[in-house]
Amino acid sequence: MSAPPDAAPTQAARVKPEPPPAFQVSGRHAKRLPNWGLKLTMALTGTIGALFLAIHLFGNLKVYSGAEKFNAYAYWLRHVGEPLLPANSVVWVLRIVLALCIVAHVSGATILWLRARKARGRFAAKRSHRVRSWSATLMPLTGVFILAFVLFHLADLTLGIKPLAPETFQEHTATAAFAYQNLIASFSRPAAAISYVGAMVLIAIHVSHGLYTVVSDLGAVGKRLRAVLIAIAGLTAVFILLGNASIPVAVLLGVLS
Amino acid sequence: MKLTLQIWRQRDTKDPGHYETFEVDQLDVGMSLLEMLDRLNEQLVHEGKEAIAFDSDCRESICGTCGVNVNGRPHGPRPHVTSCMQRLRSFRDGETVRIEPLRSGAFPVRKDLVVDRSGLDRIIAAGGTVALPAGTAPDSDAVGVGHDQVERALDFAACIGCGACVSACPNGAAVLFTGAKVAHLSMLPIPAIEKVPRAEHMVAAMEDEFGPCSQYGECALVCPQNVPLTAIAFLQKERLKSLLHPRV
Repeated sequence: MSAPPDAAPTQAARVKPEPPPAFQVSGRHAKRLPNWGLKLTMALTGTIGALFLAIHLFGNLKVYSGAEKFNAYAYWLRHVGEPLLPANSVVWVLRIVLALCIVAHVSGATILWLRARKARGRFAAKRSHRVRSWSATLMPLTGVFILAFVLFHLADLTLGIKPLAPETFQEHTATAAFAYQNLIASFSRPAAAISYVGAMVLIAIHVSHGLYTVVSDLGAVGKRLRAVLIAIAGLTAVFILLGNASIPVAVLLGVLS
Repeated sequence: MKLTLQIWRQRDTKDPGHYETFEVDQLDVGMSLLEMLDRLNEQLVHEGKEAIAFDSDCRESICGTCGVNVNGRPHGPRPHVTSCMQRLRSFRDGETVRIEPLRSGAFPVRKDLVVDRSGLDRIIAAGGTVALPAGTAPDSDAVGVGHDQVERALDFAACIGCGACVSACPNGAAVLFTGAKVAHLSMLPIPAIEKVPRAEHMVAAMEDEFGPCSQYGECALVCPQNVPLTAIAFLQKERLKSLLHPRV
């Protein structure tokens, strides 16, 4: 609704202004992917990743309820939705979604990292020795290690590629899963158990800073909302660390066998 | 009090620059960092040498003109205090203090400690003003703004545009600066009318020259006006909200 050309500016004309000429932008980078969009992509894909880790943790903790239940859960994961859906369909949907998230997350991170280095210029900033600053600094490094860990983890307990997988690795069959036996066999190797615990520390650092960043990237500004979301971010990381790392430790101590 | 100063000297933007060491004696602990530089400059001029160039204006922490990195920290060792208000009592007698210009790819050094911060001006030109034909001043109380809302807006409006946040940021980002301006204007009724184009244009202008935010939190630690880190979330919120209001 625009006012007749000769009329004095009305209230309606004031409410919906044309972009005033005083707002000037060079448009130098108008065609590249914007940083805020890349940050949003990383926030959403990272949140999906953290949700996956939380669900994965829930599944992992079933190991404490015994071999039978753990194997039954592993079997159920592959056969959920049958006979409506073919076998393995849910795991494959999850795998594809997660793989796409990883590609988007890593690409976004790489582009932003390169832009940040360029924007900083010749002289690196001196950092304060605060946990937040350290975990932000470590994000690319923890990210790369986590990626390597995921590949190792898949070779170890999903694909059974030796020598990364234990000698006694048993492939799942159409009627049974051996996730429990494979897990015990893998974590009975001290080097593997230690690397799993180490990986959980890195994941916890990455997830805690990542989810903390998500709070701002999704634009949460209310004091209480921010406090709650930041607490959830921290607790998620702590649960992932303690819950998952307890399993290799339990195997090494002989609690699980 | 005596200090050994390592000060960045750079002839012009093209000169690679280097540190030069000076001894300054008979300093008073109550002197400001800039008064110490004045003293050193008097000494240099007296010796027939070229004075060190540095920016300053009000010297009472409100103009945002001064700002140097002291031992790598924007403005100086005391948090939330501008260079002009940093006192020498923060240093030990006989200490070596390194003074360099604010560092960022977007802040080219003009001379010695003087940097070109016009990148921040270009962000403001992109939308940090109220460009509405707002008419004559309204009657008082015609447009109601709550007291808490005003206080909150003023917390963000406190930004003096000194550029310390950019220099502190390992990514060379100006998100705290831009977020403070966007947050302050979006909370007040008349400027809020333009918040959609403002968020779009100011973010675009910011990304033209400055880096992305990784939530290091270094900016808010050095900010002389104590602008809260929430400014960063505000900027992202306003930018995302502008997607819901496509302009015709």
